[in-house]
Amino acid sequence: MSFIAPLFFVALAGLAIPVLIHLIQREKKQILRFPSLMFVQRVPYKSIQRRRIHNWLLLMVRLTALALIILAFARPFFERQDLPVAGTGAREVVVLLDQSYSIGYGDRWERARAAAYEAVNSLGASDRGSIVLFSSGAEIALRSTAAGERERLTAAVAEAKPTDGATRYAPALKVAGSILAESPLPRREVVLISDFQRGGWRGEEGARLPAGSTVTPVTIAGNEDAPNVSVTAVSFARSAFSNQERVAVTAVVVNRSMRSLTGGQLALEIGGRPVQTQPLNVEASSSASVTFEPVTIASASMRGTVRAGTDALAADNVFNFVLSPAAPVRVIVVDRGGTGSAALYLTRALAIGDAPRFETTVRQPEAVSDDDLRRASTVVLNDVAVPGALARRLARFVEMGGGLFVALGPRASWPQDVDILPAAVRAPVDKTRGDAARIGALEYGHPVFEPFRAPRSGDFAGARIYGYRAVEPSPMAQILARFDAGAPALLERRTGAGRVLLWTSSLDLAWSDFPLKPVFLPFVHRAVRHLSAYAEPAPWSTVGQVLDASFGAPASQPLGGVVITPSGRQVPVDDEGGEVLELTEQGFYELRTKASEGAAAVVASNVDSAESDLTTMDPREIIAAAVGGPDEGARAAAGVPLPPEAQERSQRLWWYLLVIGILVLGADTLLSNRLSKT
Amino acid sequence: MSLLGAHSPSAIPGARFMDPVVLARIGNLDLVARAVCDGFINGLHKAPYFGASVDFAEHRGYVPGDDIRRMDWRLWARTDRYYIKEYEAETNMNFSVLLDVSKSMDYGSRGITKLDYARILTACLTNLVHHQRDRVGFVAFDSEIVEHVPPSAKHMDTILHVLDRLKAGRPGGRMREPLHKVAEHFGRRGVLVVISDFYEDPEEIVDAITPLRFRGNDLVVFHVLDPAELEFGFSDAQAFEDLESGEQMPVVPDAMRKEYVSLVNAHVGALQQRFSEVRVDYTLLDTSKPLDHALYKYLGGREKKMRLR
Repeated sequence: MSFIAPLFFVALAGLAIPVLIHLIQREKKQILRFPSLMFVQRVPYKSIQRRRIHNWLLLMVRLTALALIILAFARPFFERQDLPVAGTGAREVVVLLDQSYSIGYGDRWERARAAAYEAVNSLGASDRGSIVLFSSGAEIALRSTAAGERERLTAAVAEAKPTDGATRYAPALKVAGSILAESPLPRREVVLISDFQRGGWRGEEGARLPAGSTVTPVTIAGNEDAPNVSVTAVSFARSAFSNQERVAVTAVVVNRSMRSLTGGQLALEIGGRPVQTQPLNVEASSSASVTFEPVTIASASMRGTVRAGTDALAADNVFNFVLSPAAPVRVIVVDRGGTGSAALYLTRALAIGDAPRFETTVRQPEAVSDDDLRRASTVVLNDVAVPGALARRLARFVEMGGGLFVALGPRASWPQDVDILPAAVRAPVDKTRGDAARIGALEYGHPVFEPFRAPRSGDFAGARIYGYRAVEPSPMAQILARFDAGAPALLERRTGAGRVLLWTSSLDLAWSDFPLKPVFLPFVHRAVRHLSAYAEPAPWSTVGQVLDASFGAPASQPLGGVVITPSGRQVPVDDEGGEVLELTEQGFYELRTKASEGAAAVVASNVDSAESDLTTMDPREIIAAAVGGPDEGARAAAGVPLPPEAQERSQRLWWYLLVIGILVLGADTLLSNRLSKT
Repeated sequence: MSLLGAHSPSAIPGARFMDPVVLARIGNLDLVARAVCDGFINGLHKAPYFGASVDFAEHRGYVPGDDIRRMDWRLWARTDRYYIKEYEAETNMNFSVLLDVSKSMDYGSRGITKLDYARILTACLTNLVHHQRDRVGFVAFDSEIVEHVPPSAKHMDTILHVLDRLKAGRPGGRMREPLHKVAEHFGRRGVLVVISDFYEDPEEIVDAITPLRFRGNDLVVFHVLDPAELEFGFSDAQAFEDLESGEQMPVVPDAMRKEYVSLVNAHVGALQQRFSEVRVDYTLLDTSKPLDHALYKYLGGREKKMRLR
């Protein structure tokens, strides 16, 4: 056993301290003040016995703890002679070949492949080689194959081609580490062939190779001055024009090269056909946005592509997206109608807004038809007495996934036998005398109130509530808001696939001035959005993302069919739609089901625009993280034994010694406590 | 019981010593002088004179100048002689507390010092007596007289003020000098209460206190001791310092507890005996015991004895 810091053993002299304490410990000279010593006789002070050690066990425990801690500080380690000695023995070589789309820049892919061939050819007779292809993930093309089967290794390299993924080094190093760890061969090598983009490395991420491994970086770079533009995002401005929805597409184009681009062309394709072309001029290392003329959305899942010509890195010049007509959220407001209609503020609030647009139909309780319920996603009961038949139909509607908003007022009633409300409705509470009720506690974590979470994002306490219905919450209900006196103001209950929200006051001016407050409109919008489970469809995804195989198609449609990838590959989807699909290619993924004629759903997939940034990093940074230091891999390769610090670092005996020492100190405390009690 | 804690806020700082618990306990009792008292107005106590009351004392022959309203006409009818009916006079009394404030009183092993305990005792007794319309006075002494409040019906507040600013600062010497000096001041007969921890030889104590009785005063002695002084419940061997003399001495309590306790008990026994011989009421008070119970017991017992008389 050797030590890094043997000087710490001087501290062993400190072991004498507890012994001395034990030996010379005297009773503290405490003076006790006593009223009178009249009756107290003089008695000789007995302290001779204290000069003996009473508790040998306690002394030993303390000495052991101190010795262990000193030993830990001296940082001991066992010198190991069995480290692999390089220069002798067979090699296990893992070739990590970058196949992210940035390697397609210029002639980089050919150079990378050539480097891989060279690595394969350098294998000796007794060596073994593996080919690992990596982009955002890593895939073992060929695992630990004898050098005699060199053809298989070269064939694996030959079959590889750049993908649409981004670069990530950590997964590749992890895979290489697992291959090396299983290898019985004495020398372990990793050949990392990549363009070493800065964006592919996010710190260590736990990618560590077994001790004694070496990493040989092969940098494929150069030619960065070739023009490289990329389309990084598009945005849409929707408008309505003669009853048709139109969208103006704006694309953001980034020029990452040192050369400015002039006289370029930016094309917009809809459904695969070019419809518009705009001139494109971008300064060096800057970005520009280009807006196309509005196009009409003719069908659902309309495919669009923005194309910025071709350059050294072609993959990022294309940006795909999918546009669908904005689907309105259909709301039925059930109101008693007539001159006393209380739905004015509610319908006015729902008439505003286009993301999403609310399509409101006002019905009297007896006029709500099954067809209405089939089309609607949310029903608002605005202070009405609900007959039993309608209540049962509404219960079915909620079970099937619909949303129900119940606003209670003086007239509201709900049949007892239909149990879907979050609370039983009781008598009105009159707050017209004295202070009006205010909305006190809000459940800001809930989607309805989430936008109001930040300070100055809406003041619900400003509304004065002069009357509300007392309610008795059911055990399944969640109380989302309360009045200042503690009575529930808003309750939610999930029933089947749907939700019910219960607002215990009215949504007109009869019982409160809430509809006049600025928070009323966002509150109504959020509540209806939440009840109708509205989610804005994402117009595009990025390669590497994982989607569920239903592609967000309506749940009512039976699944079962195939997903057609951009390259034409067919992936079957079962009826459950439970599978997930990783997007690996750039382009449009189509879901075709038995029920639908054409594509049931389309997802646009784009390459990661961060990969377009070709800024390189120093490979030594990755090597240092993977093998523990920039020199260690080289040292292991040269057969030089590791320095004592490195050996000690790999063993970390001090850590265990320190923990044991501290535990023994804890035991000492317990022991001395017990002894002092007896 | 928190003796110092439970008090109502009052303008007089010393009022904090009037413990409501004690007052509630003894409020329906009287402290009646056992001996006759010299007083001016009617009260609870026996006066040395005849006066106006309902208790008939004796007949006396009429002499010119006697009030003819007090003539016993029935006796005149029977004997044909003039007799005057005389009644026992009841008067108010002087009540003074003599409190030892030597440094040894400033000791408390359980939160409350003997001095605080004695102050509460003083305040409660004085309050009780004041409410039965007697005159109250107060003397604090160590080796000499520290404070002197002459007895008066208006001195209740003064006594409370004095009690508040009392400090046990100086070592007490022999009690003889201050008490003998005080004895000269008490011209009129009344009740005197001496409160001390009596760290002196019993003979000397009795010698110091007896002169207070000479003028016919009724004398009550309260011996206040801390439980630590009574039981000597120390465990660690340490140096003990005499609060009064400052003398230090190493002590191993375990080794000498038995002897100490027997010495203290002998001292208390001797005091009890000597005081009863000179017709002085002696009561030992343990500061760990609630004062209300001790005082109630003493006053109740005293009232019973008075009725027997």
